[in-house]
Amino acid sequence: MDYINDINQTFENKHVRAFREAGGKVVGFTCVFTPVELLDAAGVMPYRIKALGHPETDLADGRLSRFNCRFCRSCLQLGLDGTYDFLDGILESNGCDQLRGMYENWEYASAPGFFHYLKAPHQLHPDALDHYALELARLRTALEQHFGVTITDDRLRDSMVRHRRIRAKLVALDRLREQERPAMTGSEALQVVLAGGAVPASVYEELLDRLAADLAHRHVDRPRVRLLLGGAATDEPALFEAIEDVGATVVADTFCFGARSYGPLLCETKGAGDLLRTLAEIYLGGSRCPRMFDEFDGRLAFVTEAVAEARADGVILVNNKFCDLHGFDNVLLRMRLEEQGVPVLALEKEYGSPADHGRMRTRVQAFLERIGGGR
Amino acid sequence: MTVDVHAGILDRGLKLFGLIDKLVGVPSDEEIEGLFSLLPPDSRENLTALLAPELREAGLVFLNAIKQWMFDARDARALGKKIVLVPFNFPPDLVHAFDNAVPLTTEVLTTIAALALPGGAGRYWDFMQSLGLPDHICSANSVEIASLLSGKDFLPDAIISAAPGACDANSKVHEFLSQYQSIPQFLLEVPVDDTPEGKVVYGKYFRTLIRQLEELTGERLNEDRLRGVVERSNRCTELYWELFEYRKMRPCPLPNLFNLFLAPVRFCLWGTEAGIRTLEMMLETGERRRAAGLYTAEQEQCRVLWVYTSYYFDVQQLHRWMGKKGWSFLADVLSLYLPQPIDPSTWDTMVDGLVTAAWEYPMNRQMGTASMSRAWVSDMVWAARELGADCAIHCGHDACKQSWSVVSILEEELMKQAQVPLLVLHGDSWMKTTTPITVIQQELEEFIGNVVLGAKRSRRMVRRQRPAAKAADPVT
Repeated sequence: MDYINDINQTFENKHVRAFREAGGKVVGFTCVFTPVELLDAAGVMPYRIKALGHPETDLADGRLSRFNCRFCRSCLQLGLDGTYDFLDGILESNGCDQLRGMYENWEYASAPGFFHYLKAPHQLHPDALDHYALELARLRTALEQHFGVTITDDRLRDSMVRHRRIRAKLVALDRLREQERPAMTGSEALQVVLAGGAVPASVYEELLDRLAADLAHRHVDRPRVRLLLGGAATDEPALFEAIEDVGATVVADTFCFGARSYGPLLCETKGAGDLLRTLAEIYLGGSRCPRMFDEFDGRLAFVTEAVAEARADGVILVNNKFCDLHGFDNVLLRMRLEEQGVPVLALEKEYGSPADHGRMRTRVQAFLERIGGGR
Repeated sequence: MTVDVHAGILDRGLKLFGLIDKLVGVPSDEEIEGLFSLLPPDSRENLTALLAPELREAGLVFLNAIKQWMFDARDARALGKKIVLVPFNFPPDLVHAFDNAVPLTTEVLTTIAALALPGGAGRYWDFMQSLGLPDHICSANSVEIASLLSGKDFLPDAIISAAPGACDANSKVHEFLSQYQSIPQFLLEVPVDDTPEGKVVYGKYFRTLIRQLEELTGERLNEDRLRGVVERSNRCTELYWELFEYRKMRPCPLPNLFNLFLAPVRFCLWGTEAGIRTLEMMLETGERRRAAGLYTAEQEQCRVLWVYTSYYFDVQQLHRWMGKKGWSFLADVLSLYLPQPIDPSTWDTMVDGLVTAAWEYPMNRQMGTASMSRAWVSDMVWAARELGADCAIHCGHDACKQSWSVVSILEEELMKQAQVPLLVLHGDSWMKTTTPITVIQQELEEFIGNVVLGAKRSRRMVRRQRPAAKAADPVT
């Protein structure tokens, strides 16, 4: 696993540096409805912006406010303090209101070279899918014009095939994680997904193959409690470690820095011919993000199925303070899951705040005891 | 365990507003005092403010219009009509155009609770929290939604959710209600795309919504009935812009509380006779006061633009208090909706006009665009110049993640482009416990006294000290 963990030790890792030194361009994005296939087909490396629980927000606080979620503030902080200067551009998306504000301030304060706003609809209405396909066409044009490339259908098709393959490999890793004796812990699984957003797709595919081989005969301790973790943007390995440290193993998750970013996107689509329309269907149809305002049943089913497949004993739904989307969704999910007899702990946390870990640890311990485990 | 809610906002509002029937003609101060004397102080003070001497006739018409709006909803079921819950960023004209439907506006009901009901909005807010919802959600909608979730209020037959794209919190709370109470939800998404294609897709969504309403009501959107509504909407638009001219005057002859009237007129009564009557009476009041040279203080000291919402739980101590100090409340973002006339020629022109109206509603026109900061800055710089604002206030409603995330840009640009300083406060617009009104008063006094009026005084002193140009230059 070291070759995976090393990637996440720095934001500009050795693969990014190598890619840039070879003349490649890197564009940052945040949301999982961003069709990375388009960037790849343009020869541009998509880099998933993250903060890894970065606790400093002083620069960002001058632009955003303490009423904005700290994940956004931490990301903006890294944008303003120069950490993300290696990015050749930014792809804004409307994942949530606060992310939009984050991007607007990033653009206002530092004017990145390439800046494009990809607007994704919040519903699956056929007109919305058409509109998203149009948005993808706009993105294609913007990439072509700014980077002086042509995104041919053939290149796009190849890229779509590769990314589908990558997602299938991630799903296969999940199966190893769901075993009676999992092949890896939840925090290790998070590291795998985080690495995927920080290296070129070709490199990632090789890493996944190597990892699959390494994990084939590997087992961690038999879990005393099998947990599913879900909720708001969580790219903090320390949080997973804190939870697993008290006697649970995270055998599944539904995070956007996790299973939500590949499993549902693996779906077969009806779209034929128009590649952008197909991408629109894949990404909107496969979105399990609470930003979709008439898809709660799909999100509930996603969690319920994951609980069943991983034979989870309980669910922890985390929510970053000030996140409206998960703030509402977690409550509804908790109600529905409990109706089905699934024990749930709803945990609101301050993103990137180690001071919060003690309080959370106590609550997790109490939850584990409630469902029959823990130390 | 959830907090107990004894009665819903609509029921309590109906009982309270029913008191207004006891008033005959234009009541005296004593009659108003007597009528409200048994109410707790918070409720009494606010209702008395809405009938203050400087706006009494208009206040009566306004309160009667809101009362009737609530009674129409109460009686809807008995008449076989559907109740449609709408958010504030949606033109109620469309629902008025259906014979078999009545609109009820979430945020207006919340405001009624915050402003008029004894105890304010607190018990509903507590109920929401007791369901496990976070404390940072928006009180503007969650207070009324809590009333509906409690099972102690009317339940709508359908929900129009018009904020997807413009506000997560608003969209989520309506989705939550839809799921919790199994009420159908009709989405009208704002595509955050300012291009013609964005407007086209919004028009498509709007037409889908019309079909959903037709299905709900079992009634086609009738062209003649729609025309009637649109013609009344257009009359409202004319009156709005006439009033706007009065807002520009120095001193501003309109009582500060007219801003509070303007929002519900747009959000509930647009396209109705009641809406027209309210605006006409406001205009009449403005003209009478202009002609008589009346202003609420000895002189107008400062012209204030509220760039977002203001505070609605103590209007006696905010709007009227500001008036007495000579501070004109020029507009807030809810009263600054800048309506445009709708072409009544055909069904399609009218629907297109409603699409544009919805597109331009408050919040949609700022936060539902490709750049929240650019659209908001553009509107506020325009308003500051047009209305001659000396300063601007951001109330800092803590739930509004969008405005909080770009207010720093607005602050810089307002100063750069319009030389208007912005005070950023923090408080909940509908919950009196977040920041007490006395603290808000203090902050306003410090800012206006030191930054705005202090700067004016300094400029006057500099002018007095500087010799006149002509006297100093013998050549000219």
